[in-house]
Amino acid sequence: MSQEMLVLLAKSLWETTYMVAVSSFISALLGIPLGIILVTTNKGHILENTPLNRILGAIVNATRSTPFIILMVAIIPVTRLLVGTSIGTNAAIVPLSIAAIPFVARIVESALKEVDYGVIEAAQAMGASPREIITKVLIPESLPAIVLGLTLTIISLIGYSAMAGAIGGGGLGDLAIRYGYQRFRADIMLITVVILIAQVQIVQSTGDYISNRLNKK
Amino acid sequence: MIKLQDIEKVYQSDNGTIHALRGVNLSVKQGEIFGIIGTSGAGKSTLVRCINMLESPTKGIVTVDGQELTSLNEQELREQRKKIGMIFQHFNLLSSRTVYQNIAFPLELAKRSKEEINKEVLHLLELVGLSDKKDQYPAQLSGGQKQRVGIARALANHPKVLLCDEATSALDPQTTKSILELLKDINRKFQLTIVLITHEMQVIKEICNQVAVIEGGKIIEQGKVIDIFTQPQSNTTKEFISSIINHNLPDFFKEITLASEPSADSNLILRLSFIGHSTEEPVISSMIRRFAIDASILYGNIDHIQTIPFGTLIVELSGEQASLQQALSYLKTRELGIEVIGYVARNARAVG
Repeated sequence: MSQEMLVLLAKSLWETTYMVAVSSFISALLGIPLGIILVTTNKGHILENTPLNRILGAIVNATRSTPFIILMVAIIPVTRLLVGTSIGTNAAIVPLSIAAIPFVARIVESALKEVDYGVIEAAQAMGASPREIITKVLIPESLPAIVLGLTLTIISLIGYSAMAGAIGGGGLGDLAIRYGYQRFRADIMLITVVILIAQVQIVQSTGDYISNRLNKK
Repeated sequence: MIKLQDIEKVYQSDNGTIHALRGVNLSVKQGEIFGIIGTSGAGKSTLVRCINMLESPTKGIVTVDGQELTSLNEQELREQRKKIGMIFQHFNLLSSRTVYQNIAFPLELAKRSKEEINKEVLHLLELVGLSDKKDQYPAQLSGGQKQRVGIARALANHPKVLLCDEATSALDPQTTKSILELLKDINRKFQLTIVLITHEMQVIKEICNQVAVIEGGKIIEQGKVIDIFTQPQSNTTKEFISSIINHNLPDFFKEITLASEPSADSNLILRLSFIGHSTEEPVISSMIRRFAIDASILYGNIDHIQTIPFGTLIVELSGEQASLQQALSYLKTRELGIEVIGYVARNARAVG
């Protein structure tokens, strides 16, 4: 493999890592609070608010049911508004984040629902406010499950980022398509697939390890 | 210390309205251990949750330590709740926190300093006998140890009242006993008022001073434990008591015919109940000495309700009819409960 190819590979690896890292961070930043709101505004929960719960639920479902490739194209105006361009790695981060936020929200929602309501009741009996219940009970108690959920999100984003090539986002997936498939470079195809598999493995093992360390059950 | 006035609680559920509490009135004095007993679905869990307003009553007034809780807003209510400890059937400990951190939790909520928390938690650990387990997680503890952590956590803010929601129902009899001992101890040491709900009469018998029986959302009977045990009024109460003290006739009575009126050669069957110091009096032997009769004991049971002895005897008296009646009048002058079960023909059964 030529020097040139190696440089290309390194650049693509960096692009994938960058896109996935930034969009994971943004989706966690917005998805976790959204998941918390989805749980706590549920009927009978600490901040019961059925209308808000229904509206957020509907938005989340709508976003999740749109195929990523279509979402990416459909929100181009929003992307242009946010990053000034609709092409490139930074532009790809916008649709990736928007797709992952509701995903994270649902994962956090199901993780928080696993917390026994008795524990929340005990905290209420001790005079904890809703905010204290969220920060001191709900999140710490479901942290192992949240970590596993975020691991799953990162892995999904690695997969989605391959499609970012469609808007010139770059990354390993894009490289595999353009060189591996369209230019019949089987070696490039093979190496990108191996790198992607390795990436997923590393993320999953790290997530499992952290989750296990946090789990005291 | 605690006063509940005309508490009503109505839930709206998918299958219509549920009337969980229908006008409950209760008053608990400072330092008392007050038991509320009822079958599942009787409303006892709802009732105990009304005391710290985890469930807000649909109607009625809740007053704890002179403060009317039903008129407070959320913020004020949270402050008041810090003065009311609560323990649960399933302990409800935070699984992500160690024993030490669990006990520290209510102190953190009360915004106490690290040093204060440390001092308080170490003291509480000693009180409940778990000093050596302070860095373990709840998953590593037995049920009894978890409940001890629950108790320590409930006591952390020096509450005036401790609410126990089926606190021993998930524990084995041996552990139940030790937890009840601990509660009794705390009650004595800190003059802490304890309200506990349970479906086990054994728990009431073991530690309560006062008891209320709840059924269908209403208090159907209420009073001192010793009175409720010796003179239960309602059928539900009798049933609860019969689980630990046998008030029913032994089975073999079902096979013999009992007459309500004496006849020439019939024996008299009596149930005698003794309370307190009358258990120490030799009533039976002095009766036999005075009157020309024989007595045989068909069934007997002596128990203690905390420190007060309490017993039941079923005796069959045989002799001349006149002597039997004299003996009966004599017994009625003594300090004991007498119930004439009936008369039985002399040869209906062999007198044992």
